[in-house]
Amino acid sequence: MDYGLALAFAGAAFATFLAGIGSSIGLGIAGRSATGVLSEKPEQYGLMTLLVVLPSTQGIYGLVISLFVMIKINLFGGEGLAAITLAQGLMIFGASLPVGVAGLFSGIHQGKTCAGGIQMAAKRPEMGVKAGVVYAALVEFYAILGFLVSFLLIFIGITI
Amino acid sequence: MEHAAVIDFYRYPPIGEEDWQYAFQTAKVRSLETTMLSRGTLVDMANAEDFTAALDLLGGEDYAEMQTAATLGDVENVLLAKRAAVRNLFVDLMIDKDLVELLRARHDFANMRLAIRRVVTDRPVGLDYSDFGSVPAAQFEEIFKQENYSLFPYYLQEAVEEGVLAYYAEKDVRQIDYAIDKYYAKYKVEKASEKGSVFLLSLFRTQIDLTNIRTMLRLKMADRLDKDFFLAGGYVDCERFVHGLDVGYEALATLFYATPYHDVIEGGVAYITSEQSFLRLERLCEEHVMGFLRTTRSLAAGPQPIIAYLIMKEHEIRSVRMVLTCKKNGLDTRLILDRLGE
Repeated sequence: MDYGLALAFAGAAFATFLAGIGSSIGLGIAGRSATGVLSEKPEQYGLMTLLVVLPSTQGIYGLVISLFVMIKINLFGGEGLAAITLAQGLMIFGASLPVGVAGLFSGIHQGKTCAGGIQMAAKRPEMGVKAGVVYAALVEFYAILGFLVSFLLIFIGITI
Repeated sequence: MEHAAVIDFYRYPPIGEEDWQYAFQTAKVRSLETTMLSRGTLVDMANAEDFTAALDLLGGEDYAEMQTAATLGDVENVLLAKRAAVRNLFVDLMIDKDLVELLRARHDFANMRLAIRRVVTDRPVGLDYSDFGSVPAAQFEEIFKQENYSLFPYYLQEAVEEGVLAYYAEKDVRQIDYAIDKYYAKYKVEKASEKGSVFLLSLFRTQIDLTNIRTMLRLKMADRLDKDFFLAGGYVDCERFVHGLDVGYEALATLFYATPYHDVIEGGVAYITSEQSFLRLERLCEEHVMGFLRTTRSLAAGPQPIIAYLIMKEHEIRSVRMVLTCKKNGLDTRLILDRLGE
């Protein structure tokens, strides 16, 4: 059994899986808050939508890293899967974790920040972008760091 | 469960954690809060020339339908409808129905107090009860007529017993109020504790303290030294209130200096001694509760903002009624402002 390849597959799966969980929970929280405001103030749909979609990026980062792992192991190439040692598999698995774990936590917390921003925008719409979006973007920064580390590890740190 | 009279906070007690199940409900309430009347509007109403001018100020607000109200009766009907709508919305928004039940108990106990008073004084039980309790107003008369108290929830059965026994012990109707107040205070603190609601526990304990402050000052005013009227379960030990009965008015603020109620007592006592009136004390007590409720604004989700909205909206409706009634009856603006707060 090719344990190296199995670990690389697990890494690709975890990157999307964890970051996707973070995004979906974050979107759920922000979405519920937005519908609460929209039930009273439907005219704020545009701003609410902007704040709701922000936590979705973590899932996308996870997917991109998963695709990079798939490219790395030649999943889409015509010559079959790359031969990967156990150590290399473990490295790919480890490299996939930053985007997954950072995505999981930052997605949830970004959803909560967006929910706070949505509620603030309900009372003071002029602050919606200034504070609501900017604060949520600060949480995003850590998802980007996770993505960057995973990306660099996979493309520069691991040679197959 | 016995709660120690320990004050481990500066001004307002803790309100508990966020609960993200309430994300939708909290956001809805935040939107509704924007339609609430500002203090400025109420002060303007108090300063208005007359009833009609005060009513006009509500034109652009949440109370626009009051524009058509010509009499106090019309105003009352609109306000009652508004209050019922707020309460129904609250019930719809709350996910934890046990907390709704706990808040409904306030009305059950008030209804109970009224019903027992009528029964022991041989008056008809009547139907004019609050309909927001767990027991429908219409059932009260029937239950008392049949004397079948088992139809009440368990906590009300015990309250009936306490109230009736207290009355027959001294044949004094005031004893009914004291007995039921004591039972209710114990019940709500125990229930909030059992449900694990930090917010409601803090709210109830604060309310108990404020009730004790009012009781202490009313007893002092009446030169009475009854020490059994204080409710247990608050943050301040009953002993301190009993001590308050023995000291002069000038020493009361010092006695409560290390409690969150120093300002309430200082302001309330100053007005009582100068005007012989509890108006400002009542206002300061309400403001203290409102201040506590406003701390829920730091939470982005949870049952706390929903409960706070209900109480604040009910308070707003009471304030509108008070100002308009005073205006209709031509009361002095200064008196209204004293009650309202400037």
